[in-house]
Amino acid sequence: MRTTFSPILASLANVFRIPLSQTVTRPAATAALGRFNGNSNSNSTTNAAAGSSSSTRQFSTTSAMLKRHRGPTIDRRITMIRYFLHHPLTPRPLRFSRTRFLRHWTIHRAWHLYRAQQRRAHQVELERQWHAMRAACEELRTGAGDGGKLFRKSMIKTGVFRDLFPIEYARLQTEGPPAEGWNHEWRRR
Amino acid sequence: MAVSESSRYLTRSLSRALVPSARPATLCWRRNASDQASSRSPSADLSELESTSISSTSTAEDVVKSYDPVSKARGRKTKLPRSRYQFRSPKYYRGPLHPHQPPPPSDPSSRLYVPGPFSLPRVEQTWQSTVASDILTLLYVHNPPGFKPPVKAPRLRDWDDTSPYHKNRNLRGPRGGDVLRLLRKPIDFNNIPHLERITIHSYVNMATENSSWLHAAGIAVQAISNVRVQTYKSKTGVPKWGIVPGRGTVACKAELHGENMLHFFGKLVDIVLPRIKDWQGIKGSSGDSSGNITFGLEPEAVALFPEIEVNYDMYPPKMIPGCHITIHTSARTDKDARLLLSALGMPFYGKIVD
Repeated sequence: MRTTFSPILASLANVFRIPLSQTVTRPAATAALGRFNGNSNSNSTTNAAAGSSSSTRQFSTTSAMLKRHRGPTIDRRITMIRYFLHHPLTPRPLRFSRTRFLRHWTIHRAWHLYRAQQRRAHQVELERQWHAMRAACEELRTGAGDGGKLFRKSMIKTGVFRDLFPIEYARLQTEGPPAEGWNHEWRRR
Repeated sequence: MAVSESSRYLTRSLSRALVPSARPATLCWRRNASDQASSRSPSADLSELESTSISSTSTAEDVVKSYDPVSKARGRKTKLPRSRYQFRSPKYYRGPLHPHQPPPPSDPSSRLYVPGPFSLPRVEQTWQSTVASDILTLLYVHNPPGFKPPVKAPRLRDWDDTSPYHKNRNLRGPRGGDVLRLLRKPIDFNNIPHLERITIHSYVNMATENSSWLHAAGIAVQAISNVRVQTYKSKTGVPKWGIVPGRGTVACKAELHGENMLHFFGKLVDIVLPRIKDWQGIKGSSGDSSGNITFGLEPEAVALFPEIEVNYDMYPPKMIPGCHITIHTSARTDKDARLLLSALGMPFYGKIVD
C-alpha cells in the first residue's frame, strides 16, 4: 500500500467516495482541488478562498499568481473534461472467496446455457421456416397447374434491392403503442 | 496445461460432491442463500411444516449422527485451499508453455471478463422476432431438387504459357480490376445478415493547434458510445490545416460491440436521426462493397444524442465533434447490408449503387 497519494488521486478518491487506508481529510482534498482549478479559473471568489492563506498581498484581493497572468486562460469545462478523461481509477477484477466464486461461476454457466438454448431455438425456428418455404415453392412450381407461371413470377427479385423496406415497416418494436393515447384521468397529486 | 488454477480446484471440489463417497448419507447441512430450501435437509423443513406427515425424525437423527466434520476433514487426502483463497489471473500472457495460464475471458476470474449482457435491446428483439424471417423470405431463391449451379471459372486466372517467364508467377488477378471482392453466398437460415459492430470515428482538424479539441471530441464520443476511445495520428498531411503525417494526434475512434452497439443503434434510429433537419437519409452510393455502410453526422446532430443533450453545458459548444459512423454488418455485399439497415429504420436516398 502506498503511504502517500498524489493530490489528484486523493481528490479523485474523495469525489468517488473511495476510502483510502490513510484517511484523506477534507481540507487537503479541497486545497488540492483549489490548486487544480486555480490556474484555469478567472473567477476571483474561489481563488480568494483557495489562495487566501498562501499568497495575497496586504492591500490587494488578487492573488499574486493570478496577477502575473501567464498564457491564455483555459476553459473551465476543458479542465474538467481532461480531469475525467484521464482519471486512472478503473474497476478492479472481481475477487471472491472459494464458495462465493463457485456461486458466481454456477450462475454464470447457467446464464450462458440459457442464452445458448435461446439462440438454438431461434436457429431451429428459422430453419423450419426455410424448409416450409421450400416445400411451398416446390408445390407451386409443380402442382399449381399453371405451368409454373405463378412460381416464376414469385421468384422475380428486382424490386427487393431497389425499393428496400418501406420506412413504415422499419420501426423498432416496443411494448406497443397504448390503445388509449392519452390518459385523461391523470391528475397531479 | 491450459487448465487454470481456479478450475482445477473447482473440478476437484465438484467431483468430490458428485462422486458417491464411502460414507453413507453425507447430507450437507450448510445452506446457501441460493439453494432451494427443500433441496437441503428436506426432512427438517417438512417436519417443521407438517408434523403429521410420513416424514419421521429418524432420518434426521441418522443425518445428525453421520455428520462429523472433523473426521471428514481428516479423511481428506489433499488439503482444500483456504476459503479466502483468491485465484489471480496473470497480468501478462507469458506464452503457451508457461505454467500460469490465464483463464478464458468468459471466466469470472479473468481480467478480461465483462459481466452481462444485462439487457435485451430493442434492436435485437426486433431483429429476432421480425426482421430475420422477413429478410429470409424476401431473399429466398428456389432451386428445384437436383439443381446444380454451373461451375464458374476460377477468379484467379492462370497465365497462358506463351512466355517462359510465366513459370512460377503468381496467378493473375480477376478481370476488370485487381480487387478480389467477397463472394456472396445465397442467403439462407444460416447467414441472415445482422449487425456486427459499429465504428465511430472523428477527425478533428483543430487538434494540431490545441489538444483540448481532441479531448472534447474524445469525451463526447465516449459519452455517446459507452466505449473508451482510441486516438490516432494522421496518415496523410493536409497543408491547409497544418497537419503533417505521423506528427500530431488528430482523430479518435470508438469500436462498439454487442450490447453497446445495439443500444447505440437504437438511440441513433429512434432519437437522433429523426430530429436532424432536412436529413434525407444515407446516400445510396455509400458502402465499401463488402457490406459495411458509412455515413457522417454533423456536430449539431451529435449534440442531439441524449447523453450530450442532458449536460450540454459541460461541453464547449464549438468543440462538439462531427463523426463518421460505420456500420459493419455480416452481409457480404452492400445491397444485403442496405436491406438490413432499411429494415432496422435507416432510410436511403439517391441512386443506389452496388
